[in-house]
Amino acid sequence: MDLLASEWIKARSVRGTWLLAVSTVVVTAVVGLLGVSALLPEWRTALPADLDPVAVGLKGVLVGQVLVACLGAQLVTGEYATGQIVTTLTVAPRRTALLAAKTAVAALIATATAVVTVVVAHAASQGALAAAGLPSADLGDPATVRALLCATAYLVLTAVLGVGFGTLTRSSAGTLAIVVTVALLVPALAPGLPGAVGDLAASYWPTTAGQASYTRDGIGVLSPVGGLAVMAVFTLWTTVAAAATLRARDA
Amino acid sequence: MTPSATLEAHALTKRYRRTTAVDDLSFRVRPGVVTGFLGPNGAGKSTTLRLFLGLDRPTRGAATVGGLRLAETPRAMRVVGAMLDARAVHPRRTATDHLLAVARAGGVHRRRVPEVLGLVGLADAAHRPAGELSLGMQQRLGIATALVGDPGVVILDEPLNGLDPEGIRWARTLMRDLASEGRTVLFSSHLMGEMELTADHLVVVHHGRLLADQPLTAFVAERTTRRVRARSPERERLAAALDRAGVTTRVDPVAADALDVTGTTTDEVGRIAATTGVALAELTDVRDSLEEVFLAMTAARKDAA
Repeated sequence: MDLLASEWIKARSVRGTWLLAVSTVVVTAVVGLLGVSALLPEWRTALPADLDPVAVGLKGVLVGQVLVACLGAQLVTGEYATGQIVTTLTVAPRRTALLAAKTAVAALIATATAVVTVVVAHAASQGALAAAGLPSADLGDPATVRALLCATAYLVLTAVLGVGFGTLTRSSAGTLAIVVTVALLVPALAPGLPGAVGDLAASYWPTTAGQASYTRDGIGVLSPVGGLAVMAVFTLWTTVAAAATLRARDA
Repeated sequence: MTPSATLEAHALTKRYRRTTAVDDLSFRVRPGVVTGFLGPNGAGKSTTLRLFLGLDRPTRGAATVGGLRLAETPRAMRVVGAMLDARAVHPRRTATDHLLAVARAGGVHRRRVPEVLGLVGLADAAHRPAGELSLGMQQRLGIATALVGDPGVVILDEPLNGLDPEGIRWARTLMRDLASEGRTVLFSSHLMGEMELTADHLVVVHHGRLLADQPLTAFVAERTTRRVRARSPERERLAAALDRAGVTTRVDPVAADALDVTGTTTDEVGRIAATTGVALAELTDVRDSLEEVFLAMTAARKDAA
């Protein structure tokens, strides 16, 4: 409890935390609106038959995930950049407990951020779709509610993943490079790979699978919830690897 | 205050890839006295302190506090307080928030924060971001960080850096007070004059090895060449008389009337001057300062290596 309080004080007393939280909300919503506006000029002629209005409105999560991962990461990398880590590890020598506290604080802030992000992005995009006379999501539909919950959970998992990458790399730049690679580059490029590797990457790459969780039908062979589970398992393993590294390494 | 404990390095060795930073170091730091940790840059001082704090893992041997490694110590912050680098604070975090985070991590009540800020003279800067504090104020904040848990063992790496003369005096008094309360105090400094004024006991390392572990006065006395400095308007006559008495003299090349005499006492030189009928302008017993002893010692080691 004490460690949790300590980590919370550290997180709240630095402006970067709040800047990243607010950016996540704004950027996710704005990118979602851009996705909607891209549909507008051609909708009468070429509206996709399987249009998934919820997924369109949450397109911004692709960018928002990078910001929320940075939010998680900087709880750790900020300490290495300033040298504060030396004091932290001296007063809290139990390193696994320390990482657990940091992860919990990241998850807490990310949950608040993700709820606001998803609500704002969804409301704005569905409002825009409805105003344009396009089909919009129905909140009475359990699939819509599930997609929104999954998107929230996906963002929280990304923040936790950020803590793990931050611990492994000890650097904000290193974490950013990994997050962009894992969350954006590989999902964009790997499905193009020939044969089984491409197929596998198209469904089971953790962030691809996680992003499938907030679509109506899932992507590839995974169900939406199955996709989120793949992402959760990957996040768990990254966190375990981070804890092992933190324990074994000289500070 | 938690009962103070003895710091103990036992055959402590730390290797990084190719270099051996600390090499088979064994010593104890006891409660109730101020122990100075002395050694040139790169001697292994900071590495040794990091090993005591459990930040790095020893290659061999052990660094313990009261017989336990810090990671095994319950309520570590009440046992050991340390400052390794005063600037290692997030620059945007206020002094209060920084200390609050440290206090909470160690289960210390928030009440202690204003108290310790007052103790180091930072009460007025409590809500300023650490990055805006002067070097001397950051140093005080670092010392406050070490003292939040009211620990029995206080480890300070270069606590005097960046302090003004008044601040240095304050830090010296603080360390002496902490020791007189029965705490174990270990500090390093490259300011030998200050070390000489503050420390009771010395642990000296060079190239990662232990050179000395003894009271400061004994350390200096054993390695100093005692000499007598004499000034006289009739320097040549005095030198000749001393030569006849079989005493080694050296003419000071700078001061026209001064002699450095080794292998005798002020009593003896005074008596010879009196019997020779030479007037003396000055007669002083000279001892090397800690700085001179230390530099001579490390220079000799360098030649040997």
